[in-house]
Amino acid sequence: MLPAAAVFHFPWEVNSGAVQEGESVRVFGRLVCYQPEQSRATLSAQHAAKEHHVAVHTLFVEPFHSIIGAQYLVLGEIENADGDGVMVRARVLNCVDGVNVALLQKAITEQRSFFGERECKQGDAALPAHAT
Amino acid sequence: MQAATMDPAEETPSMLWGLDPIFSAFARLYVRDILQMTESTQVPGIYFYNSHPIYKVDVLGTVVYKRERDDFFCYGVDDGTGVINCLCWKNDLLKEEANPTKSGGKHSDGAKGGFNPATELEKLRQAQQSRCHLDIGELLRVRGPVKTSRQQREIMASTYYKVNDPVMAVQIAWMMEVPQLYRQCYDKPPQLQPTATGDSGISSLSKATNTIKDFFKQQSVSRFRPYDVQDLLQPLISSQPQTASANQEPVAGPSACQQLRQLLKEALQILQDEGIVYRKVKSQDEVYHVTAHDTDLRIAVKDIIREDSKREKYAEKGCHILHILSAVRQRYSLNVNKAALELILKSLECNSDIVSTSDSHYTVF
Repeated sequence: MLPAAAVFHFPWEVNSGAVQEGESVRVFGRLVCYQPEQSRATLSAQHAAKEHHVAVHTLFVEPFHSIIGAQYLVLGEIENADGDGVMVRARVLNCVDGVNVALLQKAITEQRSFFGERECKQGDAALPAHAT
Repeated sequence: MQAATMDPAEETPSMLWGLDPIFSAFARLYVRDILQMTESTQVPGIYFYNSHPIYKVDVLGTVVYKRERDDFFCYGVDDGTGVINCLCWKNDLLKEEANPTKSGGKHSDGAKGGFNPATELEKLRQAQQSRCHLDIGELLRVRGPVKTSRQQREIMASTYYKVNDPVMAVQIAWMMEVPQLYRQCYDKPPQLQPTATGDSGISSLSKATNTIKDFFKQQSVSRFRPYDVQDLLQPLISSQPQTASANQEPVAGPSACQQLRQLLKEALQILQDEGIVYRKVKSQDEVYHVTAHDTDLRIAVKDIIREDSKREKYAEKGCHILHILSAVRQRYSLNVNKAALELILKSLECNSDIVSTSDSHYTVF
């Protein structure tokens, strides 16, 4: 009944194959293009001197107020469209223009490193428990 | 579900849960952890995260699912680690929306300016409604106890509201804060041992004096013998050998009794030194008087100050505390110490029976 948790991903991770089809993600990016007749939008973000694009399918969130050049946050499922790469089928599309992107990235990294740390610790704790 | 499933035997006894500060707080856990916490076998509705007893949580997340009923909303909240159902009851103000024209007539009356309670209430109702009525994609903050219904975990919201977060400042702050909370509180193993092993000798003595003091506060005893209060200290003694070694209890039996007597003796000595109790007569029969409840002593002290303040020597400044002390010792009891007298003087002054003229002189008007 409830959808799966949408985990934060960076825009440059979506196309790199790090996320599986059907997985729920939340991604931020600047809206660079919106084609209402095809329900397609494109978010973009700069990372490591490269521009990364995320294709978004907006059928479920229409109509929405599109501001080209504004920051958006999208929640949705990864879909492999025929032929033209990975696409996020949006469940939620929020305009978050004015967001401190650097701070948001830091917060995402912080959360990830926390989970990484914790898994490490749990792994450590599990090992001696097995030994006894 | 790889959450550490706890052995029921390892569960901390419910008596000690209150010692964990996290127990009475709204824990800001990740939804994933809320869904994976193990439920207590002793008390359903209590959960354990990392041995911390938890029953109410505080969550911030995006609404990704919504269902409305007459009495409540059911929101699915996604914080990026998991999705949980939140049962949010509508309050009466919200339900009133069915007849919004009720206060319509009064509007025009108060519109000339000034405070109109009806319009203000209407504004409040609208504000509340806009805060409680969320759509998919909006941010919800919810606090409340965790419940399991039909094998599904949910939050019974005691407070919930829409968070206006256009530039994600609240979400980012939350994302930065929660890992710190985990590191500093939730992921640290709880210390629920009733007595610290290190300084148990010191702490049990101060606990003993506090126990007796509390007893005096609650019960208006004016006199007692040591064996009257001995039972009060019993729990302090019996908990010690248990923590040390549970299987040595039969051996510890007689010595526990001696420990108890020794503890009581020391505690009474401290109380005497502090002036809380005193012995009017030093005899074989150990009778202690509770200074605060001893009306005879109060009357004696009051009389001394009243009489001596009339004497020419003390008329101007009042009686010095040491003079009062020696007079009390002569006329009332030789064993009253200065600390006890100070307590009496303080309480007399609080009642305005006497007046202090300097920090050590007292008089009566």
